Amino acid sequence: MKHLKSLNRKAKKLDHAVQEDNLEEVMAMQATAGCTSVTDPGWEVDAFGGLSNLCQPMEADLYGCTDPCWWPAQVPDTMISHPDWNADAPSAADDWRKLGDVFPKKGR
Amino acid sequence: MRLLKLIPALIEVLSFLVFPACAVAATGAELIQANCVGCHIPDGEGRLSHIANQRKTPEGWLMTITRMQLIHQLNINALDSADPVSEMVKHLADAQGLAPAESQPFRYILERRLNTIENLDDEHFAGVCSRCHTGARAALQRRNEEEWTRLIHFHLGQYPSIEYSSGGRDREWFKFALNEVVPWLTEHFPLESPAWSEWREAAKPVQTGAWRVIGTMPGRGEFAGYIEAEETAKDRYTVKFRGEFDSGEALQGEGDAIVYTGYEWRASLSLGNGEYRQVLAGSADGATMQGRMYLLDHEETGMDLTATRIAGSRLLAVTPNRIRAGTSAQVRLSGFGLEGEITSDPGLKVISIVEQGTDGAVVEIQSDADAAPGVRTIKFGGSALSPALTVYPKIDYIKVLPEVAMARVGGNGGSQTPVNAAFEAWGWSNGADGAANTEDDLRIGVFPATWSVHAWDEVAEKGDDVRYAGVIDPATGVFTSPAAGPNPDRPGGVNNFGNLAVVAEVKDGETTVRGEAHLMVTVQRWNNPPLR
Repeated sequence: MKHLKSLNRKAKKLDHAVQEDNLEEVMAMQATAGCTSVTDPGWEVDAFGGLSNLCQPMEADLYGCTDPCWWPAQVPDTMISHPDWNADAPSAADDWRKLGDVFPKKGR
Repeated sequence: MRLLKLIPALIEVLSFLVFPACAVAATGAELIQANCVGCHIPDGEGRLSHIANQRKTPEGWLMTITRMQLIHQLNINALDSADPVSEMVKHLADAQGLAPAESQPFRYILERRLNTIENLDDEHFAGVCSRCHTGARAALQRRNEEEWTRLIHFHLGQYPSIEYSSGGRDREWFKFALNEVVPWLTEHFPLESPAWSEWREAAKPVQTGAWRVIGTMPGRGEFAGYIEAEETAKDRYTVKFRGEFDSGEALQGEGDAIVYTGYEWRASLSLGNGEYRQVLAGSADGATMQGRMYLLDHEETGMDLTATRIAGSRLLAVTPNRIRAGTSAQVRLSGFGLEGEITSDPGLKVISIVEQGTDGAVVEIQSDADAAPGVRTIKFGGSALSPALTVYPKIDYIKVLPEVAMARVGGNGGSQTPVNAAFEAWGWSNGADGAANTEDDLRIGVFPATWSVHAWDEVAEKGDDVRYAGVIDPATGVFTSPAAGPNPDRPGGVNNFGNLAVVAEVKDGETTVRGEAHLMVTVQRWNNPPLR
């Protein structure tokens, strides 16, 4: 890290958290049942237990994260498990209403 | 004579040929044979590969079968079954389920208590399982070492980012998972256990009968009612549910239930305008069932409840269950078979009886001005409830529960319903030492409050989160989440997310006591299996 300089606000916060050795503590706090603590980037919450460092609007970069299977327990991964999940929604920003549940509702 | 002996068998064969509609529908075991054996090879004893060495909850087995359909293109052969998946789940959960003691620590996820913060800080959970889903999802399974190993292999093959997303790349993940996690899981969640051996052999109660229900539902308050269950086939019941909240609002309807593994009660009920699911654990003696019921479309909206089989005499609840020293209050007593005088411990006095029956009463109780703080027993004839009422001098502080809640945007034409949130204001007394948050503090109970939301921090203030991220009912503490999708009216077209403080203000005499919780209104999810 000493050769890398944090440029934007998010990078600076992350850098500070790592230096303070409190990243694990922050992430543990935010993990309500079923939410992912994979926070680089995060889905429900960011690495600081907030929301301001999430990619927003979520739809702008949704497929950039479903393609590489980033939060497969929350968002269907189109890499392996659900390759056709977004077949009818080529643009997440425009077509997000066409994105459906992968687990059949009847069984819940 | 030999021919005569064959006649019954001949009649049976002919009946089957002539009246095929009378044949018994395929059993779960037959359906598993028809659907699973193509891939899961039976050993010499007929035990199917992989399947035989696992135990799961009904929800766990349902997720397994659904995964076979979604990922391995299993086309279910229904034979003549109307609901083949349910039949297979029933068979598997009965034959290879979890004992009550094994599921007990993790029932929060079966009951969809999604604002639970898991207390599974062991690195084997935190670093491997619960960074993507609940630790409970893994902890509600039992496998032998070979099958835990296969689960690790499956995860890496199916979700390759597991090695390089945060929490994975800081170690040799695969090596760690195989060499450290598999032995740990095998030790803590083994295929064979004394608890399972004992439960498998134990006599299981039949839940037919009348039950007294005591419940509480955030936003709607205390509830008392009844369940009437009648077994129509083994482990299958028709259910009638009725009762009312302390507010007088009624909730009633009917449905059906299945009992898995001898104790896992799952009921689907139409109550009022809502479709509810009950997830209860029956006790081994058949005396109680305990758990939660929730709206199918809003799992976050639900009632904690205990059902007690009606037999003999029992006082089960006094609501509200607290009284301020030096005041009088009207309280409701609920139970069954109740007869006789209503009395209380010293410091409290029943000053009038508003109504009285064998299932309860409404009474006016007076607390002495100098009554010592603490819990009290109430007696109704020969039945005593302790603790029944908490006497408190004043409210010193408020804890808003859940302390951290997650709501989600939804609706607006999308497939996901909004996930709302409901809060309760719990009053506490400082106790004898006069200091808050110490061991002698007295938890008093839930109080009516005036509710509001505020920006959690400066960033939320600047983002105007309060304006966009939903509304809270000032009287009930029920938060309604906002619409999904990019919001063109919001700078940057961002979603209606919000980082909010939920504030409860409780009137206590002439003062107002304030408490606060953290509410994050975040984005939706499209992967919603029963166990998250």
